[in-house]
Amino acid sequence: MRAATQEDVRAIGLSSYNGGHVEFFTEVVDLLKRQGADDIGVFGGGGGTITKADAAIMQKKGVDRIFFAGTPLSEIVKFAKIAYNTHGRSGWRARGETISDPDRRIARMLTAAETGDRDEGACFRGAPAKGSAPITIGITGPGGAGKTTLIDELVLRFLKASPRTRLAILSHDPSLIGQGALLGDRASMVYSQDDRVFMRSLATRGQAGGLSPASGRCLRLLKRGGFDRVFVETVGIGQEAAPFGGEPVDRVILVMSPDYGSRLQLQKIVMLDVANIVVLNKSDLSGAKTAAAEIEQRLALNGRGQKLIQTVARRHRDPGVDELFRLAIS
Amino acid sequence: MSVLAQVTNAVEAFNRFVEQQVSQARSDSQFGERLMARWQAARGGLGTVTIPTALKLPRLALPLTDEPGEVARYLYGEGLPGEFPFVNAAYREMYLVNPDAKNTEEPTRLFAGLALAEDTNHRFHYLTRHQKNIRLSTAFDGPTLYGLDSDADGVFGKIGEGGVALDTIEDMERLYAGFPLGGEHFSVSMTINGPAPIILAMYVAAAKRRFGPEVVSTLRGTIQADILKEVQAQNEIIFPIEASLRFLADMVEHTTTHLPRWYPISISGYHIAEAGATPVQQAAYTLSNGFTYVELFRDRGLEVKRFGPRLSFFLDCGLDIEYVALARVCRKLWAIGMRDVFGADPPAQLFKLHTQTSGRSLIAQESKNNLTRTAIELVLACLNATNSCHSNSADEPFTTPSEEYVRLAANSQAILLEESGLFKFMMNTLTGSPGVKIVERAVEEGILAEFREIDRLGGVLPAIDQRYQRSQIQAAAHRYEQQINDGTRPIIGLNRYCDETNAAPAVKVVRTPRQKKQLQVDRLEKFKRRNRARTERALDRLAAVVESGGNVFKELIHTVECCSLGQITARLHECVGRHRPMV
Repeated sequence: MRAATQEDVRAIGLSSYNGGHVEFFTEVVDLLKRQGADDIGVFGGGGGTITKADAAIMQKKGVDRIFFAGTPLSEIVKFAKIAYNTHGRSGWRARGETISDPDRRIARMLTAAETGDRDEGACFRGAPAKGSAPITIGITGPGGAGKTTLIDELVLRFLKASPRTRLAILSHDPSLIGQGALLGDRASMVYSQDDRVFMRSLATRGQAGGLSPASGRCLRLLKRGGFDRVFVETVGIGQEAAPFGGEPVDRVILVMSPDYGSRLQLQKIVMLDVANIVVLNKSDLSGAKTAAAEIEQRLALNGRGQKLIQTVARRHRDPGVDELFRLAIS
Repeated sequence: MSVLAQVTNAVEAFNRFVEQQVSQARSDSQFGERLMARWQAARGGLGTVTIPTALKLPRLALPLTDEPGEVARYLYGEGLPGEFPFVNAAYREMYLVNPDAKNTEEPTRLFAGLALAEDTNHRFHYLTRHQKNIRLSTAFDGPTLYGLDSDADGVFGKIGEGGVALDTIEDMERLYAGFPLGGEHFSVSMTINGPAPIILAMYVAAAKRRFGPEVVSTLRGTIQADILKEVQAQNEIIFPIEASLRFLADMVEHTTTHLPRWYPISISGYHIAEAGATPVQQAAYTLSNGFTYVELFRDRGLEVKRFGPRLSFFLDCGLDIEYVALARVCRKLWAIGMRDVFGADPPAQLFKLHTQTSGRSLIAQESKNNLTRTAIELVLACLNATNSCHSNSADEPFTTPSEEYVRLAANSQAILLEESGLFKFMMNTLTGSPGVKIVERAVEEGILAEFREIDRLGGVLPAIDQRYQRSQIQAAAHRYEQQINDGTRPIIGLNRYCDETNAAPAVKVVRTPRQKKQLQVDRLEKFKRRNRARTERALDRLAAVVESGGNVFKELIHTVECCSLGQITARLHECVGRHRPMV
């Protein structure tokens, strides 16, 4: 539910194969109603376990459609495309204008900012008044360095350290122009599945450099959303990328793993000149000592007092992540 | 060199050794004569049995050869049933009808779990009403498998579905009420992994409440607790891998000393196969996970001699031809690895196997065909001399099995083993066939190739980190679906000979009524209220043991007295973190 709200989805597809589906599906429908989010559709299936009689009950209770065993995937995709087309579902946009839940409001504004079918002023209409500005933290680095895990661990520490405040994550997934993406970061976050975390995923829609064409606007919106911290996570970037030029962030963290290649490859990484903090993650791997020495040297040449921190983000209570948290987040 | 490379080398060395024995038997007449004397003795020592049609048969079928090379290949390469490398069977006599024979427990062990503890208890009594040896097998519902209480957010619909709902030690007492937990002829199996140590602790504590502390050393059964295959295939892992392995090792350490008749892990390929793996992948990942556990427990200072005999295995048996010999190869590779890499003595060399027929091979369309599928799989499982077996119910594509179909499934085993003459008079009826041997060889080569690949990645744990097993299983699952779609994998009633009328199945559906789900939540609330004063202190003690590196399982046996499953899981999460799903 939280994910559906924050990502401003048009429908939720559910799979349930071991019984309890009547309660499970109708619970989701009821929750959506209670939150005034019943413009979000619900559909799904469960192989042979959902009988025709069950499906009839479920549809009477507000589920849009149940698919039975043997349905080809293409048929489900076709259904979703027609049933949840923006224009086909007239209620979806209209009701969005009168949403009372603040997370849903901001989610809907982010959608408008992303689709770009309104100018920026219009997007901001109804946005919260400027409160105290949050600290914004940009996190970037090559794919597979462990950015998502690291953010999730930082979120855990933040939630523990500040029991009342909220934070936002603007995460990015690569996609072609005009196309969406599988929003994979959300699926691998565990501590960020919390009511005090607002997470939104953007597809890059063909823009190179790690962010989406809408990232700047979305970040400006999130800065006014009453959050204490805003994380911006890029997609995995290449050597030449410098993602936080458009809408600057307060702190830039570059996350690397020891397998960047030769020392010469290291010289080419632009973000090493830009980042405030460089994190060498997976520092339990062989090769980490070499990498740490080479990165230290590289940073020393810059002469800007950039800090190198070694972490093993996948380890619970990693002292490196603790240090990063003290330095960059708290 | 990882343990897997050592095992691969040992198997290759063993195969060379067998070939040497074969050529020596042919070239060295003295050696040949000694061998033939042994062979004659073995043959002469076979008892005979007169079957109801008055035919006389030996109790064990041996190859009809007097060629010394072939005799050497059989005796050294396969072994008599119950002899190294145990290709033919773990024990000398199995399934045979003979009042004097040892190891003649019925292999039937039917998996059951539905609604609340008392409902499952009723089903257990129904299932075992004719059994001399009571062998229960317990399925838990979704929330329990994930370590959640029945009052957790969003789980209400799943209470008691697909398995029994279990939140507290009191549910555990109800679940096995009326059964003699420490009895000579009683054993129980529990299919649970992520929260396995908590659940077993509840079982031990519940048994102590009913029978007093002296019952502990007599408890007999199996808990699945195989976390590696969860990461590779089934995803029911709740703590990070390292922490999960530590909790497991704590449990193994404790049970090998205090519950010497307990199997604290069932190393499982079933879920790997059900997730889509090929039979070779199933065997390779299961064995390699097994060797990884042995290495882990040994490195923790536990003795192979003590924990080795307490390891057990669980495989899927489907309709692919590999299943003609899959378990035979597994027994061989396990025995060689355990003996030659870990120095294990014979009791720790046995690959003791529970088989379940393939759930994935059953389909919703024209579901009575599932009876035939299961029957074929059952024959394959018994040809492989499985030590225990579960046959699926034909209505499983729709529902938690109804009593009618559970009965049919149980009877299919009785028909095969008691009514048919295939297994009850003679061991090894079909195992000398050339087809079995050819499949055996192909399967063994396939498994060793997987071992080498996993070794190249650094061993099982690094391979998991690199998503190797998951990627292979997913690719195989994808191929399987494609084969169904393009018809190269015929499934009767699905892509071939379909019934045009397409009538909905007239199957009775078993569901947990809403009032029962509510009852479970109410009971849990009462338990929590009643123990409120003790809960926090017990959880703090548990956390202290986790932090100090003590034996967590030992402490859990106290914790479960006043804390629910969900409360314990939550506190352990605080101590060790959560598992992050691999996507």
